[in-house]
Amino acid sequence: MAAPTVPDLAPARTERPIPGAPSYGRRATRSSWRRSLRRRLFPLLLLVPALGLLGLMTLYPLGRLIATSFQDLGLFQLVSHKVVWNGLANYRTIFSSGGGLGTSVLQTVVFVVACVGLTMAIGTGVAVLLGRIGNVLRTVVTVCMLFAWSMPTSAAAIVWTWLFETEYGLVNSVLTSIGFSFTNHNWFGSEISAYGVIVANIVWGAVPFVALMMYSALTLVPRDLYEAAAVDGASPATTFREVTLPIVRPIFVLLTVLSIIWDANVFNQVWYLTQGNAQQVNVIPLGVWQYIEAFSSNQYGLGAAVAVVMILLLVAVTGYYIRIMVRTGQIRAEAKA
Amino acid sequence: MTAPVTMAGTHTTHYRSMTWVWRAVAIVFAAVTVFPVYWMVQSAFEPNGDITSLTPSFFPVHFTLHNFVDAVNHTAGTGQAYFWDNARNSLVVVTTATAATLLIGFLAAAAVSRFRLVGAKAFLVLILVVQMVPGTALIIPLFLLLNNLHLTDNYLGLILAYSASTLPFTIWALRGFVRGVPIELEEAAMVDGASRLGAFMRILLPLVLPGLISSGVFAFITAWNDFLVADVIMQQNYHQTLPVWLYSFTTNTGTDYGGLMAGCTIMALPVVIFFLLVQRRIVSGLTAGAVKT
Repeated sequence: MAAPTVPDLAPARTERPIPGAPSYGRRATRSSWRRSLRRRLFPLLLLVPALGLLGLMTLYPLGRLIATSFQDLGLFQLVSHKVVWNGLANYRTIFSSGGGLGTSVLQTVVFVVACVGLTMAIGTGVAVLLGRIGNVLRTVVTVCMLFAWSMPTSAAAIVWTWLFETEYGLVNSVLTSIGFSFTNHNWFGSEISAYGVIVANIVWGAVPFVALMMYSALTLVPRDLYEAAAVDGASPATTFREVTLPIVRPIFVLLTVLSIIWDANVFNQVWYLTQGNAQQVNVIPLGVWQYIEAFSSNQYGLGAAVAVVMILLLVAVTGYYIRIMVRTGQIRAEAKA
Repeated sequence: MTAPVTMAGTHTTHYRSMTWVWRAVAIVFAAVTVFPVYWMVQSAFEPNGDITSLTPSFFPVHFTLHNFVDAVNHTAGTGQAYFWDNARNSLVVVTTATAATLLIGFLAAAAVSRFRLVGAKAFLVLILVVQMVPGTALIIPLFLLLNNLHLTDNYLGLILAYSASTLPFTIWALRGFVRGVPIELEEAAMVDGASRLGAFMRILLPLVLPGLISSGVFAFITAWNDFLVADVIMQQNYHQTLPVWLYSFTTNTGTDYGGLMAGCTIMALPVVIFFLLVQRRIVSGLTAGAVKT
């Protein structure tokens, strides 16, 4: 559902700002005020479809989500179009000791940290690796990564359920044949092991993007800087810290933020891999939990409260990173636009 | 892909002796990465007797297309096969949503990068903020909204949802491409009598075609992948899309994994082909936009 987000970090090119709002040319002198008004309105008209769509399908729902989180909205109220405000009752329920918020937040945080940490570590490692192997092998690795990257998440998650299937799954039979007793081992029986498979699936799908982006970033480091560092007798560690890191850091931070947003937003993989039994095995990251509250228990108000907590959490974390990005001068581009 | 990276300074004797280690690691990584995709295809072409064997073989010994027939005719216990309905729904909805998001995104990108607009900065900040809002968290109010508008179980509801969710990225990406086209070309067309909108549609639009293709592929894949929105908004089986159709396999006890893998292959195939065709452009386009600081 979440669209891939790639903020454009290129500095605003020295495009020629058109003098005076009415754009092209300077023929405006002979136009009446009405024509000038029309010219002023024209660019705004171009924005109307985009604003309308985002307003209707994103901003209005965002407002309505917050409103719903203060309502008692079940199937009855939904059908009868009754609005019942219940103040903080939903929040009180989820924040209460048996409400499960603590568990869900903890699971979400650990899950996202594990996914993002592993993705960035492996992705960066592979990017460095790509620079140290020959052209042919690099092409082979790249094509393999493109296959993994392009697999739809639903199909990929289902393939993984098949790999980890209890009776005939490949993983169990291979592990058993090399001497471990994994016959009929149920990987989705406990939350830790289920999360393990989910994280592995997500990292597998996310590493190619990070690796290819980081590899591109590494190619931008000028060779003579390495030569200069070598002449100065810098150790590989120093070279990496002083030469490579400053150049690739912006893209690294960007990829980290994107990964946090994507992984906090994961639904498909959890739902498919647990085959809808997420709650039974206690795998309830916030995104899945709010869905269960709303659409399995028909408690839309309660689900909305969970979703609001989820958004606040994400804003808190990414806001911090976005500040770093602004500080390192990466978001300047749109400030200038 | 991109130009090979050679890191002089790391090419010391020590590292040269490590070359074989790097090669081995690269081969293992490539194998692990591609294996699930391979396993999907190999299971899809393997007869059921071989699939449910306790000693799986790594190559299809008895090649069969039977699983694909099974997948297409799969009824998920409802007494009716919905594959063709669901495939058509996916294609119609995703294609329409992609076209809509490209057109709307192109107009918006042209507006913010071709005019000195009072609200342009605010608009771009809005786009960034919207991108930060997790789509999963908006599913409840989206359902309530479409329910009020009587747009559940309706193509339009799903098309609107997909266009909106892919629009911010599309605008962001196209904006970079529009800035890359010299404005003189449009000015020349206008001197020749074209209207401003005409200059956009006839001059600018064809010139940003590469951008339209790569952001279009992204929008297509995002929408094609979606399970959550379709599952919530479309309630009838014959209104569902392919990801929900795939999910219906697993709800039965005793999943037919051969048919399921065939279904996965059918669903993944267009995306993988699409991706391999435009990957060069995607990677270079993304890095050109994101890396050069």
